[in-house]
Amino acid sequence: MVHQTEDIQDVQDVVRRPPAADVRADESATDDATAERRGRPRISRSTLAGLGFVAPLAVYMVLFYVYPLVENVSMSLHRFTRATYVTGEAPFVGTDIYREVVGFDAFWPTIGQTAVFVVVSLAFQYTIGLALAVFFQRSFPLSGVLRGLFLVPWLLPIIVSGTTWQWMMDADSGVINRLLGVVGVDPVWWLNADHALWAVIIANIWLGIPFNLVILYSGLQNIPTDLYEAAAVDGAGPWRQFWSITFPLLRPVTAITLLLGFVYTLKVVDIIWIMTTGSGSSQTLATWAYSMAFGKGSSAIIRYSEASAVGTVLLLVAVAMGFVYLAVQRRQEA
Amino acid sequence: MITKSIRRTGLAATAVLAIVSLAACGSDSNGSAAGDGEPLTTVTFWDPYPQYDDSSDWAKYVESCAPEGTTLERTATPNGDILNSLTSAVREDNAPDVVLLDNPAVPDAAVSGLLASSDDVDLDIGDADENLAGPGLIDGKTYGVPIGANTLGLYYNADVLKSAGVDPASITDWASLDDALAAVTADGSSGITFAGIAGEEGTFQFLPWFWGAGASLTDPGSPEAVEAGQLLSDWIGEGYAPKSAITDNQSASWDLFLTGDYGFAVNGSWFAKAATEQDFEAVMMPIPAKDGGAAPVPTGGEFAVAPTHQSNAQAHYDAANEVIDCLVGNGNQVTTDDQLGYFAANAEERQTQIDADAIWTPWADAITNAQGRTSDLGADYTGTSGALSAAEQASLNAAGDEDAVSQAFAEAASSVSQ
Repeated sequence: MVHQTEDIQDVQDVVRRPPAADVRADESATDDATAERRGRPRISRSTLAGLGFVAPLAVYMVLFYVYPLVENVSMSLHRFTRATYVTGEAPFVGTDIYREVVGFDAFWPTIGQTAVFVVVSLAFQYTIGLALAVFFQRSFPLSGVLRGLFLVPWLLPIIVSGTTWQWMMDADSGVINRLLGVVGVDPVWWLNADHALWAVIIANIWLGIPFNLVILYSGLQNIPTDLYEAAAVDGAGPWRQFWSITFPLLRPVTAITLLLGFVYTLKVVDIIWIMTTGSGSSQTLATWAYSMAFGKGSSAIIRYSEASAVGTVLLLVAVAMGFVYLAVQRRQEA
Repeated sequence: MITKSIRRTGLAATAVLAIVSLAACGSDSNGSAAGDGEPLTTVTFWDPYPQYDDSSDWAKYVESCAPEGTTLERTATPNGDILNSLTSAVREDNAPDVVLLDNPAVPDAAVSGLLASSDDVDLDIGDADENLAGPGLIDGKTYGVPIGANTLGLYYNADVLKSAGVDPASITDWASLDDALAAVTADGSSGITFAGIAGEEGTFQFLPWFWGAGASLTDPGSPEAVEAGQLLSDWIGEGYAPKSAITDNQSASWDLFLTGDYGFAVNGSWFAKAATEQDFEAVMMPIPAKDGGAAPVPTGGEFAVAPTHQSNAQAHYDAANEVIDCLVGNGNQVTTDDQLGYFAANAEERQTQIDADAIWTPWADAITNAQGRTSDLGADYTGTSGALSAAEQASLNAAGDEDAVSQAFAEAASSVSQ
């Protein structure tokens, strides 16, 4: 979580990189052509140097990203059990495991719960984060301190915040139900099978607000103040200023915030696991994969291959979102 | 999936980049590269007791069991992770020499080829009781020796019962237990705590009711099984048990009992000593069966097992042999079990323990009549346990709804038969 701002930088770099790479390719092409004319075909020094600089990154990417991902996909195509995992004699079964996973009773409900978890979490995190960012844009005494305090959920270890939420949502003696009792609402059994999804969504929204606040706040700093001054001269009120200046100019930042938020929310295991071990309606694709991979929670038997299959589905969804982001980015630049 | 990727990647990185630091954490210190017959200098040992750190008496006790000329390296891994870690370690042929493995995991580990059998290691179950040694016997071979045993009982808060006018001796079956719970809650106290958390821990706590109703693990959808689910479901519905039971593990439910608000708690013999140190009088009684008498309770506790090795196997097995003998052989088991708060697996040694400390007296019958969880099903127990856990979770969520409870157990039965 700490690296989120750096990640944005990375993503933006990646987006900007292609033109640069094209230029380099053009240069080396000219070099090669010259070399060929001289009748001594060789790789030019600048290409070699370029490859040399790229090599550490490429090796790193292959070792730590490509290899595990390929292994994961390969595992989902072979039938691994605890015994075959040890002997390595897992038979190749093609797409059988994917078909089985889709056929599980839990599959479609889990997809639905994951979608609700991600969409509702993101909608509230973004809206509340944006509202707070706009609120803090105007400096007032202690605004810095207050803004800092909003980062607390981000800084707390999730084991602490998850346990605290679980305790607050206790059905019999939790503080949330006591508060509800004060205003005359019947106590809610937050962590039972039916309500568990909403319980973990509430905790996850709380957890995600600081991230949205920080990114959107820094986005707001980049909007020139003279636009607001000009708008004010033209008689635009705060509401009109928000919809005509803040929101449109914040669109690139919004896109990256939502993309990163989507990926982070999709893969959330910890907060859900601590609060409900993914039981009942709080099972998402990520917690399902975790429980099958390690034989915990809802899956007593270890299911390496099925977990890999679910992992691959998660991966595809995340990659698809990445492409959506690139498309949005391109349209904005056009 | 994740561990595998990380470990594999680690190995690949070692090979390609020859990073020494990575190699150090991935390689085994037993020198598996050394030729066969080479004596070991380090013996590795895993146990599921992270609560005992390196400076604890337990750690020193285990280290004193190192065979001559070797040092023993102990690693404590949480109980839920130890089988997965062992699977990875055996795959890379750097498994520890001795592991203390939770008893219901032993058949699963054995049929997966993780454990050496009595063919290779001189595993002597000696005179351990049959019900306690059961999980280590698979297809006529011995795969492990029980280091001791624990089990479940029904603790009650004598002060709460007294105030509610309940005589503990009157609680002999489910009906009288329900009456007592009604009286205790009517008196303003809370009823009973138990661990209904999803997974093996929840199943372990459910089995006394399941078996006590007359149900069998071979048929998790039987009417008797439904009755057991209904009992617990009604406790939630009536408000006798806290709703947090669906996520409480045994430590959390014990903590609730220690508040002094609750009349009863289902929990393990490992808390027997702690029970005597409370502000209130906590007493243990056997868990009642549906129609009276003590319900069969499941055996808990670990087995000493020797994981399989490829290179220099005999040296590893010889070392395992010595360590296991030191922990559970001739009269040593009582010392080991005293450290852990367990009962000896052998009736005579257990009697010595019970005679020496009066807090064990009420537990004597419970442990003698306890049933092995894997006795009926062997390695298939893992799947049935998961199905039962799901059914119990659904029953607790139903909060008394009879249709939902019977449907939950029907689903358990169909998922097992698949």
